[in-house]
Amino acid sequence: MYDKSFNDIDINVHDYDIFLKIKDENDIAVSRQMAKSFAQKNDFSLADVTKIATVISELSRNIYRYAKEGYIYIKKKETEPDKDILIEIIAYDRGPGIENVERAIAGGYTTSERSLGLGLSGIRRLMDSFYIKSEVGKGTVVVAEKRRRKF
Amino acid sequence: MRTKVVPTIVLYDYLIVPIQIELDDATIEKLQMQLLNEISERKIRGIIIDVSMVDVIDSYISFVLSETAGMAKAMGCYTVICKIQPQVALTLAQMGIKLKDIYTTNTLEGAIDILNQLD
Repeated sequence: MYDKSFNDIDINVHDYDIFLKIKDENDIAVSRQMAKSFAQKNDFSLADVTKIATVISELSRNIYRYAKEGYIYIKKKETEPDKDILIEIIAYDRGPGIENVERAIAGGYTTSERSLGLGLSGIRRLMDSFYIKSEVGKGTVVVAEKRRRKF
Repeated sequence: MRTKVVPTIVLYDYLIVPIQIELDDATIEKLQMQLLNEISERKIRGIIIDVSMVDVIDSYISFVLSETAGMAKAMGCYTVICKIQPQVALTLAQMGIKLKDIYTTNTLEGAIDILNQLD
């Protein structure tokens, strides 16, 4: 199903709680709402629910704007042995890819006229872990995780 | 009058815009056009956008809000955003987003005070 030579992350749809196809502008708001409900259901704090919903909004828009079509995967993970609860988000597309990934995640740079260029850098700041792989002409994968905080 | 995406209230020559709907990309773009039309048609000198009901303000929504404020400014109109939720403020700050050309307050009264001082 996926191009494994590009995508070294093995994505199995069945492992994920939410699987969204982004191909329409409305899908940005839909994915944001779904991520928000999912984080709420898993008892994330209001601040972290907002961060997760914002991250999904940025990722979905990037897919819609640059790749036209792509996928968002969301799942709940439990780490062993500390039993931390995490939400893992993957955004995957087979769009044009990013020419200079480092510049893109540094922030303040954009190839779009109507943008702040803070999407990817913002995601990195809002999440606990962030991984990106992009190849020109092949596509982009972003993997990000948010840990549930114990208060 | 054109159809509005957000019902607005005119108070003196200020326009109060309570956003109580989900801000998706198409909606925020329509709202921008609506506000510019209202500024021009109703001789508005100050816009107050109440975002207390808005759960997510991402980089694009921020961009369009700032852009709208810049356009309003060019038309002689100041923009104040009031009642940003704490978790939204936290997210915006952590992402490094600055709302350009926008004044912010925590109350509607504060927003009116700012606009009165600017006049």
